[in-house]
Amino acid sequence: MVTQVVKCPACKTTIPIAGEPGEKIQLICPQCQTKGRFTIPGEKAGETTGVQTAAIDVKNLTKTYNHTPAVNNVSFCVNKGEIFGFLGPNGAGKTTTIKAMLDLIHPDAGTITINSIDVQKQGKAAKKLVGYMPEKVAFYDNLTALQNLCFYAEIKHAPKQECTQLINELGLGDTGKKRVGKFSKGMVQRLGMARAILGSPPILILDEPSGGLDPRGVVLIRDKIIEMKNKGTTVFVSSHILSEIQEICDRVGIINKGVLVAQDSVEGLSKKLNLKPQMSITVDKLSSAIEDAVKKLPGVERVESKGNTLDILCDGAMKAKVILAITNAGGNIQNLQTKEPSLEEVFMRYTEA
Amino acid sequence: MQTNVVVSIAKKEIMDNIRNKWIILVASMFAILTLVVSYFGSLGTSGWQNLGLTISGMTELGSFLISIVAFMLGYAAIIGEIERGSMSALLSLSASRFEIVVGKWLGLGAVLCFTILVGYGIAGLLIALNVSNVDILKYLAFIGLTMLFGLVFLTVAICFSTIFAKRSTALGGAIFLWFLFNIILPIVLVGLLMTTIDFTQITMASTITVPDWYFVLNLFNPISVYSTLITLAIAPVQTSTGSGLIPNPSWYSTGLLLGVLVVWVIVFFTLSVWRFQRKDI
Repeated sequence: MVTQVVKCPACKTTIPIAGEPGEKIQLICPQCQTKGRFTIPGEKAGETTGVQTAAIDVKNLTKTYNHTPAVNNVSFCVNKGEIFGFLGPNGAGKTTTIKAMLDLIHPDAGTITINSIDVQKQGKAAKKLVGYMPEKVAFYDNLTALQNLCFYAEIKHAPKQECTQLINELGLGDTGKKRVGKFSKGMVQRLGMARAILGSPPILILDEPSGGLDPRGVVLIRDKIIEMKNKGTTVFVSSHILSEIQEICDRVGIINKGVLVAQDSVEGLSKKLNLKPQMSITVDKLSSAIEDAVKKLPGVERVESKGNTLDILCDGAMKAKVILAITNAGGNIQNLQTKEPSLEEVFMRYTEA
Repeated sequence: MQTNVVVSIAKKEIMDNIRNKWIILVASMFAILTLVVSYFGSLGTSGWQNLGLTISGMTELGSFLISIVAFMLGYAAIIGEIERGSMSALLSLSASRFEIVVGKWLGLGAVLCFTILVGYGIAGLLIALNVSNVDILKYLAFIGLTMLFGLVFLTVAICFSTIFAKRSTALGGAIFLWFLFNIILPIVLVGLLMTTIDFTQITMASTITVPDWYFVLNLFNPISVYSTLITLAIAPVQTSTGSGLIPNPSWYSTGLLLGVLVVWVIVFFTLSVWRFQRKDI
């Protein structure tokens, strides 16, 4: 698939598009509504991503509410077996994208396939492959956890024994005859996770799965996601807890104001933004010679000293050379800490505009 | 259409609603009032009444209460789940929107029919024990027609829950419709009728010549259709809004009125499915 940014000839708005080389795409400018056709060029196109095993393939997704685009030509792929984090500020279009992936809303333009099945044309077949946990998890309040799960199991054709097993695994085994209406938010959230993984679907779509959970609950859900990935499940997860996303995701996509502004691994995005790791090195006696030796190294961006500690911002590849330069200049290293660029920094940079 | 999906949704609706305290309250009230009406009769006499008089009272009670029960069951069927968030989970499964509407209609319809059966069934049993020569078939037909009448209001309520964007608006719409059919429309029609008829020249109701438009417009009110249908098929019904005092035209038949109620169900059911399939969740 080729992704590219084109400019509207009328109002010069940039519009991201995606498609196969040679594919003709109908475009509507979200700003001035000018219609046009664009043919995706061959290898010379902007960014190319070779995807042979796409579990989820979203192409040129556009959805407008009251003339305001909620998502605008969003395109991305989620490879089979990976955990893909979907990030964005509130109102960026995350939930709209997820709802379109599940055929809950009718997009204005674009196509979505799940394991090559078109969601809009064969919704039922596509959704059979998916387990979904919505942002706002809700159940039937008058029924118990087991009755609720058994209802979903019947529709999913999942064995009912699995319901009891999942309820126990997610720490709800002692709820018995208690109706879901009496559950705490965290309990409902955990039951929501149980519903999503019921029937072991090959693809999981999780919208803010840790929202409202206590730290123990967060760990429980995170472990469950990792467990599912280890079983070969593809996981698409949207979350505000960036540290968690960084920890578990293979790749991330960042959406801002309805436009997908980036998609890659956290490392890849850091490189694109030229974000550098920060080293904090404490020596027994800091001298100007040590400081100068570090400053002279190529790839070192910033050196600050505080007492006997040097805070250094440098290329990832220069870390060993920095340590060597300090020891060669007579420094005796007492403590060394390295802070890699965080997803938070990446997120802030991509969503700051 | 996957039958198992429809059955599962219907079963869930039954389980969910038989535990709903409001439904239990209104259904109990309906059963108690039915017993009261069957005992005291509808026309001021007391003691166990014959079937005709009891049905007349029950029909009027039913048109008020059954429409309320039906609206309570149906007004939030779709929009309530959308607002709560459970609809997105249900639709993310391999259930189609058509199957969901069918399942909900069947499940809620079963709850409604069961309520009618219990309320009228107990009353019928007591009448049978206290009154001789009860025509059981007629009474069963009355229960059946009442169920159909209830299903009309249930279908309209489900339709409202697919049309309106908020649960509260759907409730408002249902309340308005209840007033419209129970109070406003009969009063407006009788009012219009009075402007066209010189009542001073009339000594007996049977001598009134009522224009056809009045009867045609009455077909748009399921409550009028229901009470007229009971009059034609079971026993004469006199309602507080005056229906029953005016003789029915010759072209009114059981088949026509039954057909009108069925058309109400079909039209609003189709509209529900059509609207729900286009709705963003």
